[in-house]
Amino acid sequence: MVEKKITIEPVTRIEGHLGIHATADMDGKKYTDARSFGTMFRGWEIILQDREPADAIWITQRVCGVCPTPHGIAAAMTVDMAYQAPPPPMGIAVRNLIQGAEQLYDSPLGCLILEGPDYSQAVVEKSNPDWWDAAKITESPKTEFHGFATIADIMTALNPISGALWQKSLAIGKVGRKMAALLGAKHPHVNTLVPGGVAKTLTPTDLEQYAAMLAQHVAFAKEFIPVMDDLLDFVLSMGYSECGARENNMVSFGGYDDPTAYNTNYAEMGDWAKKRSVSPGVIIDGKLKTQDLIEINVGVQEMVESSYFDDWEDVRVNEDPLGNPLTKYHPWNKYTKPHPGAYAKWDGKYSWGTSVRWLDWKGNSELNTVELGPIARMWATAIGKLVPESTGTSLKFALPKATIIPYRNAEAMEFEWKVPEKVNTVERIRARAYYHAYSAYVLYLTVLAGLGLVKDGKAKIWNKYSKAKNGLGVGMHEAMRGGVAHWCIMKDGKIENYQIMAPSTWNSGPKLGESDLGPYEAAVIGSPISEVGEITGLDVVRTIRSFDPCLGCSIQVYSGDKKIVHIPEI
Amino acid sequence: MSEIENIHVIWLPGQACTGCTVSLLNASHPNLLDLLTGFIPQAAGVTLDYHATIMLPWGDEALSAVNAAEKGELAPFVLVLEGAIPDESKAKETGGYWCVIGEDEEGNPITFNDRLDRLAKNAAAIVCAGTCASFGGIPSGKPNPTGAKGAMDYLGKDWKSSLGIPIINVPGCPAHGEHMAETLAYAVLAMRGFLPLPALDEHNRPLFLFEHTAHENCPRAGLFADGKNSHEFGEPYCMGTMGCKGPISHCDVPKRGFIEGVGGCPSMGSPCIGCTEPEFPDPPFSPFLSKAPASFFVYEKIRSFGGSADAVWCRIKDALIGRDL
Repeated sequence: MVEKKITIEPVTRIEGHLGIHATADMDGKKYTDARSFGTMFRGWEIILQDREPADAIWITQRVCGVCPTPHGIAAAMTVDMAYQAPPPPMGIAVRNLIQGAEQLYDSPLGCLILEGPDYSQAVVEKSNPDWWDAAKITESPKTEFHGFATIADIMTALNPISGALWQKSLAIGKVGRKMAALLGAKHPHVNTLVPGGVAKTLTPTDLEQYAAMLAQHVAFAKEFIPVMDDLLDFVLSMGYSECGARENNMVSFGGYDDPTAYNTNYAEMGDWAKKRSVSPGVIIDGKLKTQDLIEINVGVQEMVESSYFDDWEDVRVNEDPLGNPLTKYHPWNKYTKPHPGAYAKWDGKYSWGTSVRWLDWKGNSELNTVELGPIARMWATAIGKLVPESTGTSLKFALPKATIIPYRNAEAMEFEWKVPEKVNTVERIRARAYYHAYSAYVLYLTVLAGLGLVKDGKAKIWNKYSKAKNGLGVGMHEAMRGGVAHWCIMKDGKIENYQIMAPSTWNSGPKLGESDLGPYEAAVIGSPISEVGEITGLDVVRTIRSFDPCLGCSIQVYSGDKKIVHIPEI
Repeated sequence: MSEIENIHVIWLPGQACTGCTVSLLNASHPNLLDLLTGFIPQAAGVTLDYHATIMLPWGDEALSAVNAAEKGELAPFVLVLEGAIPDESKAKETGGYWCVIGEDEEGNPITFNDRLDRLAKNAAAIVCAGTCASFGGIPSGKPNPTGAKGAMDYLGKDWKSSLGIPIINVPGCPAHGEHMAETLAYAVLAMRGFLPLPALDEHNRPLFLFEHTAHENCPRAGLFADGKNSHEFGEPYCMGTMGCKGPISHCDVPKRGFIEGVGGCPSMGSPCIGCTEPEFPDPPFSPFLSKAPASFFVYEKIRSFGGSADAVWCRIKDALIGRDL
């Protein structure tokens, strides 16, 4: 076997600093080994220590400027719980509208600007000439909806800067962030989230302005989903279904809370999380293991065996507020001790990322390597039967009529995301695209619900609270790249321990033990080498980008032992 | 200098969150594409040679422009920094690193700091996008675990480029997209000799953007002057009583909005947290819901009294002597 080792550093068109070290079998034309490593550290959780818990709402958003809002919402939920400051229904509806606006921008950014260029004419014609020859003569099945005659036309539209779809994503993305700014004051890093609701003077036309911009996204979705379906079906037809494939093990925390169900009571979290528009669920081998968010929370484990951190001994909390057992690796118990180490030490500690697993603590006590992302939450929602759109094998919904110049499809349109056979590079991207349409659908219903609240005289978006001194908080929901979760222990009104876990923390993490590889690593292994000529790692970066990495999020911080990590200013 | 044909841009992320990059996509007049295509001939010829988030290539190929700029083979170039600069000597104590961008030919990591040192020698100008690159930002928040700081602290306050241009800071968390795009276009026009260098304040922020405070720029300042304060979130009055740091923060977002006029922190009812200031995120800006020091209001009242006396006197004068305009 002719082996070739390649290191891709930096992996571009992602958020943050990531490298991949991969081994290619040049005879068998596939990748046989991979290591994913984060190459930047800042120390957010250390910076959060001893601050006022509410400050986490602003500070944690700044771990990532691509997907800040979900951190803000997770922090707001965590602090709501620690303070016991429940927001009024309008506060939750507005939080959903801010959160969803970001999803509307983030999905096309991922599909068309970060991942899309890997399937553009500029890349495919050079590296996959056989695909390009086929694309030129393959008519797009859904031309009438998006206007591109052949697959090659779609690929040309994905060229950076000059491509029509690339440019369209830039323009429609801005509309999404503008919707977030309308209710969030700014984006990135929205400014209106506070404990107990939202700090925004709601005007009579806010919802109307939001709806007008939402309509642009509704119109965009009716072109975007058909164009992505055509492109991705073509890529699959080129024999790409093994690229990026790994077992169907995933976790979704669920998202978009029911404004009348959400509260700050941990004991009821399992119930109100089931009323979310996006369902929670642990999926093992494609099947639901649990839909209980409390059970999911208790099973979260973060380990540092291959990471630039030292292990810890103490356990802060032995059980959650309901008496469920917590191990020392649960984030409420995490002490992290940053310990910068050597570069590229593949058999030892090699990443600023950590290894996160889900412990099936109620069942077989196994540690499961799971991936998070749009595919996990679409899967959990589609088979979960907790929302009316869930059929058990698909998620079915319709976007309303929206006549927006210059979009092509004004009439209402039905969408159905079907659970695929396996998780792979292509299906991760497809789920990301469909989540745009599903978000637009949820937000349309939320606008209608918001108008109803205003009409009923329930426009109040914030409840006054008196800050508690001690408390425990957790906030778990879905960011674009997958579930995001925050944990807080408050003592004497200050943060004793604050933990941030982003989806990319799970996905990009290094291996655990000899054979338990992180999701990025496992997905690269077995991927075929499709490119011709000198190997550049094209299939590796396609796979990594299908997860839509966000390294700023995954390697923020880690609250550590201050005596060890405190470094005086110089 | 007007004969400069191409101006290269190297956008280098350190301890960054990519928020300033996303914010740049919010820019309007000019927007990112205007900057790249050149909206007037005098501003044309700008090429974005390295930007890890949006560029097509990856790995070594992606870094070819950065390597060329380090060797002086890419000129002139503007270095845009996003993110704070850590203290690598601390990470080296245990044989490690805080932030790496690429490898050398032997496969050894190259730190962000090494690259910055080399690029700073050749850069025609350095523009800091956001509070982290300008002043250290949140990574430098107490207890500053990685020894993070801004470019002016790292390179020296008196640092000047090969063209004699000081570091230009465009703070904000993130920097405002329009602020960055306007400043970059301004820098291009200045490098070509069509504009003088922008006047900067004591923290090297362009005065045309950062001269006035958020409070001075706030549409609610009139309500404050009329004695109307908010005591609950949701109320339409001055947010100073709810923790707004507008009086001690230099920012035009309350007036300008955030994206095409939409948004604006205190003007919409959320407290300004002082994200454009060197001390952010530490006191006096945090805790974010704590109130700004009362001393400001005393000074403002004294100035306001003078202003009111002037306003009354001007009117009496008109009535007594007649109007001169």
